[in-house]
Amino acid sequence: MANQAKTHKIKMMEEQLAKKLNRQVVGSLVGCVHCGMCDESCHYVLAFPDDHKMTPSYKADQVRKLFKANHDWTGSVFPWWVGADKVPLSDDDLETLKDIAFGTCTNCRRCTLSCPMGVDTATLNRIMRGLLSHVGVMPEGVRVVSKDQWEIGNQMGVLKEDYIDTIEWMSEELEEDLGHAEATIPMEKKGAKIMYCINPREVKYDPRTIKEAALIFWAAGEDWTMPDEGWDNTNFGLFSGDDGLGGACAKREYEKARELGVDKIVISECGHGFRSTRFEGVNWAGESEPVPMESSVMTMLNYVREGKIKVDPTKNPEKMTFHDSCNNARSGGFFEEPRELLNLVAMDFQEMYPNRAEGFCCTGGGGAMSMSEYTPRRLESAKIKADQIRATGAKVVVTSCHNCVDGLNDLIKHYKLDCEVKQLVNLVANALVLDEVEKPVEEVAVPEEITVKPVAEAEPLAGRKILVVDDEEDVRTFLITVFEDAGAEVISAADGNEAIAMAREHLPDLISLDLSMPGKDGVETFVELRSTAETEEIPVCVVTGHPEFRQVIYDRPVPPPEGYLGKPVDEDKLVAYASHILEHRNEKAN
Amino acid sequence: MHEVSPALHTAEVVHWIALVVMAIVYTMRIRWLLSFKLAKDKSAPGNPAQSNKERGARHSLFNVAMPWSMESTRNPKGFVFYLSFVLFHLGVVAGIILAFVSTIAPDFLRIPVVGWTVMTLIVGALLVSLYRIGRRTLRPLMRLISTPDDYFSLIMLTVWFAVGAATQAYLMGIWGVTNGVFQIVYLYLTSFFLLYVPFSKISHYLYYPFTRTYIGRALGHRGSYPVVRS
Repeated sequence: MANQAKTHKIKMMEEQLAKKLNRQVVGSLVGCVHCGMCDESCHYVLAFPDDHKMTPSYKADQVRKLFKANHDWTGSVFPWWVGADKVPLSDDDLETLKDIAFGTCTNCRRCTLSCPMGVDTATLNRIMRGLLSHVGVMPEGVRVVSKDQWEIGNQMGVLKEDYIDTIEWMSEELEEDLGHAEATIPMEKKGAKIMYCINPREVKYDPRTIKEAALIFWAAGEDWTMPDEGWDNTNFGLFSGDDGLGGACAKREYEKARELGVDKIVISECGHGFRSTRFEGVNWAGESEPVPMESSVMTMLNYVREGKIKVDPTKNPEKMTFHDSCNNARSGGFFEEPRELLNLVAMDFQEMYPNRAEGFCCTGGGGAMSMSEYTPRRLESAKIKADQIRATGAKVVVTSCHNCVDGLNDLIKHYKLDCEVKQLVNLVANALVLDEVEKPVEEVAVPEEITVKPVAEAEPLAGRKILVVDDEEDVRTFLITVFEDAGAEVISAADGNEAIAMAREHLPDLISLDLSMPGKDGVETFVELRSTAETEEIPVCVVTGHPEFRQVIYDRPVPPPEGYLGKPVDEDKLVAYASHILEHRNEKAN
Repeated sequence: MHEVSPALHTAEVVHWIALVVMAIVYTMRIRWLLSFKLAKDKSAPGNPAQSNKERGARHSLFNVAMPWSMESTRNPKGFVFYLSFVLFHLGVVAGIILAFVSTIAPDFLRIPVVGWTVMTLIVGALLVSLYRIGRRTLRPLMRLISTPDDYFSLIMLTVWFAVGAATQAYLMGIWGVTNGVFQIVYLYLTSFFLLYVPFSKISHYLYYPFTRTYIGRALGHRGSYPVVRS
């Protein structure tokens, strides 16, 4: 009877499940005794103690039921006896499963360490995600990102010309900052020792990390390059459970590395990027002898250990703590090296508890940052991490993961913590002692005195008209002041309707747009600006602390904004972004 | 050879037949598990300083004897649960010994130190299983994740412990238990278990060496297991 009632999607999922079964997976499927010991290891359980559906074994049981009904002796004959009678039958059931697999678990794998039987619940949840993705049931954000990664080659849909433009921008800035013609970012250099792969977030939202990494490579006298393709170290196959996508993404990097003939791939600070590229991708892509790979943290640490770069920890005097990315620590065994490096480049490191492989998720893992429909729940579950951070009293949370940066920034804002998030690349770059660097003989000598020119000094926005839109008066005043100090003419609006009217009237060169505003919010305002002939070409830089910003980026009835900045906004970063957007717009116009 | 009544003899024969059937079914179970392909991690070891598949597997396999190795058994509440787990499973071992030895060498179970050890473990396990019934039925979380098999296995074990305690009392001649029917019932209950276990959650101990070894090897290869704490 049950078979007759199954939809086509359910049947497809069952067929797909059979393909995903291996001995380890079957062991985890039959090994659970429902003892409940995994319960309190999960940050969702701790944050929602009255919602028992948050418990890891319940989540894993969703795929276990399917397995038992189709592959287990008892489950096949007496399904009700082992709970296999409650398998999904309708497409509505799949929506419920989607909420469980994507919305109540970040696949952080913490529960796995608390299971007496060694059941890998996170792997089972990923399998459920894969089954759902196989039949097209997944959060919109995951769908769009996966599509971009399949079709464009990176998870944020960054076009090749935009990627290269950003790298060139950072290269020019580096050269200008250092005043050294050799201080550039090499692209597509054959035979280089290192191919540096990054997270598209760096291109789109945080290009300074690319410049900082380039500065460190340059200071170490490294022979390195960035590829023009296969540069995305992230992999949504890990999050969607689609091994095919996972293998394709990883293969792009491996093949590019072989094409360039590099000695190794260095993966920028991205937890899931590191795990996907360094470990899982090898298996998904069926590689037998992949190119050697390492995290950029290891590369930077080796530079310091080997004396290739000199660092001064007094340049990072704030009290800092370290957040372990789950993918780095629990699934990658990578937790001592970041601490060693942090202790070398900072003065005051305070450990967070629990930590290393037992650390709690930042709550932004498992692709959660792209699933805006689950943001309120995610932020509530973030209380566990927020309490951990608060207990350290640190002013800076250091992490080696871009997802964690976003996740931690969200929870810091939500729980009003008095701290900021930094990555090790930021700290190493800041601690660099350039005038003491011993350069290899064949390298160009470092100038005796190097001064990094502050961006704001040159009034880079002179002659530009900028419309600042924000409902909070103090934020508006801050933005106006920063832009005016940079030489811009600034007009402002406090809500969406006013912004649209002013944009039509003044046709500014750039709009700085808040998203969360009473009345017509930033999203509606943005869509209207983009849909109106007079204003559609005006570049928009979203400046917001609102986590739903990704809705704007991923749901694209209109072209996405040219830039995004999270609050609190760094003054230099704001001006640098605005300058870049305007320069880029000019180039396109020309 | 000890002298037995025809009823007890029949129960002993059934018991041994059930044991043979269980062995056959268990063999089939393991063959079934091994029929699935073993996934191999082709990636290079995660962290040269820490990676070791074999060490990870060993540590994982003996995890059961190291309550400090898991957060879930390290905290005070979890540690109490761990102690109850140990007592429960030692009681199972004692119950199995009782079932076999009582048919082969019942006098051995009358040696005071042996008899009282078996009795203590079985009664202790009985108390733990009563607690577990309460835990599984009263806690909403446990009710949510429990299946009929979970309840039935636990209730049957509880009955088995109770009858086992009565059987051991009969063999030791204590507490006024003089009716040998307890031993016969106990052997039939054990026979039922031997036949039922391969199809139920109780067969988890069969999978334990596999699941623990797999996760230990996987995380040991990556360098995150055994867990390092600070």
